[in-house]
Amino acid sequence: MKTSDGETRVSSLERRRESVVAGLDAKQLAYLRHFDNLSRRQRNDWSFMIGRTPNQMDFGGYRFQLAYMAYALALTHVHRLPAAPGALRPTFQRLISKILEPEVWMYWRDSSKAGGIWNPHLAGRPEQWDPVAHDNIMYSAYVQSMALMYNVLFDDARYAAPGSLTLEYFTPFWGDGGKPGGLDRKFEYDQFSLNENLYWQMVRNGYLGIACEPNCVFQICNQPAIIGFRMHDLLKGGSTADEVSRGFRQAWEQFGGPVANNGHLYLYAASDTRTPVPNAGELPWGDAWYASLANTWNGEFVEKYYASVLGKHVLEGPDGTRTIRPPKPRTFGARPIENDTCDFGWLTVWASEMGDATTLEGLQRHAERHMRPTVYEGGRFFPRHDEVSDAEGNYTCVEPLTGNVLFAYASLNVPHGLRQLYEQPWAPGHFAEPNLAIVGDAIEVHRAYYDDARATLHFTAGVRENRPGDSVLRLANIWDRGSWELQRDGQVVATGDGQQVHEGRRVEARRTEHLLDLHLERNELSTYTLSWPGGGA
Amino acid sequence: MSTLRPGSALPVGGAFDLVDHDGRPVTHETFRGAYALVFFGFTHCRVVCPRALGRLSTVLGLLGPDAARMQPLYITVDPERDHPSVMKAFLARWPGFLGLTGSREQIEAAKAAFHVFARRRDDPEDPNGYAVPHTAITYVIDPEGVCVDHFTDALSADEVAERLRTLIARNHRLNASEAGE
Repeated sequence: MKTSDGETRVSSLERRRESVVAGLDAKQLAYLRHFDNLSRRQRNDWSFMIGRTPNQMDFGGYRFQLAYMAYALALTHVHRLPAAPGALRPTFQRLISKILEPEVWMYWRDSSKAGGIWNPHLAGRPEQWDPVAHDNIMYSAYVQSMALMYNVLFDDARYAAPGSLTLEYFTPFWGDGGKPGGLDRKFEYDQFSLNENLYWQMVRNGYLGIACEPNCVFQICNQPAIIGFRMHDLLKGGSTADEVSRGFRQAWEQFGGPVANNGHLYLYAASDTRTPVPNAGELPWGDAWYASLANTWNGEFVEKYYASVLGKHVLEGPDGTRTIRPPKPRTFGARPIENDTCDFGWLTVWASEMGDATTLEGLQRHAERHMRPTVYEGGRFFPRHDEVSDAEGNYTCVEPLTGNVLFAYASLNVPHGLRQLYEQPWAPGHFAEPNLAIVGDAIEVHRAYYDDARATLHFTAGVRENRPGDSVLRLANIWDRGSWELQRDGQVVATGDGQQVHEGRRVEARRTEHLLDLHLERNELSTYTLSWPGGGA
Repeated sequence: MSTLRPGSALPVGGAFDLVDHDGRPVTHETFRGAYALVFFGFTHCRVVCPRALGRLSTVLGLLGPDAARMQPLYITVDPERDHPSVMKAFLARWPGFLGLTGSREQIEAAKAAFHVFARRRDDPEDPNGYAVPHTAITYVIDPEGVCVDHFTDALSADEVAERLRTLIARNHRLNASEAGE
């Protein structure tokens, strides 16, 4: 593929090497800090995350924000901080905890009743409480893919334990949830039982996909499930993702493929009539969201599709900026339809995934200029703004998903980053390499990678100002490799052998069980190299 | 390959009680001792069924002598039109296939046992004005009556044949080891 500038794409390996050596810049770090801040909020504090539509019914709901933060962390780990699992793992865990919160999934009690403007013939179904048992792939696939992705990336099977993904709601104030034999509102799953459930739903639906709201099988919402199946296959072997994606492709072929006559992807199919519903409004999210994720397994199609539709959505602006066509007002009867489409955000993510630097940077430049980037508690984001455009006609709409997550995701991603994560996130032996296993809360890691050829762990880290927490870096896979030397900003600060620390001159270095603890002082950012002159064998 | 290893029991497949295209009553027990290849469809199907039946015929050809151990079953999801004689005439193009039909209730029970989706919808191109879109998955029932694998419509005949050979070989090894104990 060529970028829009006509440059030949650098190979993924070279690109990965470039991105890990470069590490993170200040903006990227601040985006990660915002993720971390959101993940640390107390239960049911959804500050900055609340969108336009009540009841989490919309495309910008908490579930999407939490999941795409996790995906962005995954991309960051694989492509930018491969030797710093400890910098990302706690945030990832907190995001998984949050997506299990009732506030995130209780919309299903209402959505499961079906009906609505698209399916009036199904109205009145009994409410369902278990949000992952049947349909609702717009939630269940994120729980599945996040948990399995966590296991793949961090070699930690905590979500494989029975009941580790438990969904529970209890109130003493109504219903019969507390009565013995009453309505059970505790649903216990783990990453494998959930994966199995989704897989068999796929089979039963002939691989057309699993519905979100009953009878609405959205193409986009089945992409995270395929990613989850791939994560499952990386852990357990097998080829579930290949089977399902092939079946999915074939099932949509009954409609002539995934694209409708108007040149845009079908949004969804009604599962009872097997009728596809086109993206009649030519909404950008309907193309960009699916394609950003389907680049994992359907890359050839996505690359061609990007070239065919990008110009329909993205406009050139001044000074190299790019913007998007304002959406056409949508109504149902006389009622205007308002929702968090995240059009601008999804196009930005798509450009990042396709490696289209011109479009990506143009959209980012527009966002910086017209969408009020904000720093709060050290975290960078773009606050919600419901007005579509300003007095000069510049597009200004920012949904919480776009402003909290998608711009950050696009900044942290690399060309075809999700595809590489899907295909093979780690080289063999990755988990045996030296790494920053545990990172104190006060520490910010800018760079971390292990150079196997030179037996050297490179990392750049500093202690955050005004951030509580400890300032200890705990390094794993250090021992039994022979003599080592730790340099800070080019000066030797500690030495050791395969068993113990010999001396720590200007840094407190200590062996604690199987880890090497470095106690960092509150000082400026430093660059470290931990090297094994003997090759680290 | 499914999330479950082929050769282990799958959470699908079960009892059915139907009539074959010669009018004889059959149940899931009737086919014990053979590998039953179970496919659901309807004779008015214009694309999916002919393609799937053609592919399975090719698979049987690829299996050579092992094909004798297979019993392909074609269960209708349109019992109102697919009477035994209709099915027999339809399947004449695919020798070796046995068509199964029954009452609406019997067919619904069989669909439920295999978690098959099929629902009638209007189709102006059909002489009777309707079609019955259905899932297009082939289930493999082993000689003991256990569903051990399933194939999507997206797999090639070569891939299906290879999967079946693997299943047969695994079963053969298991039987041999049991006989030696």
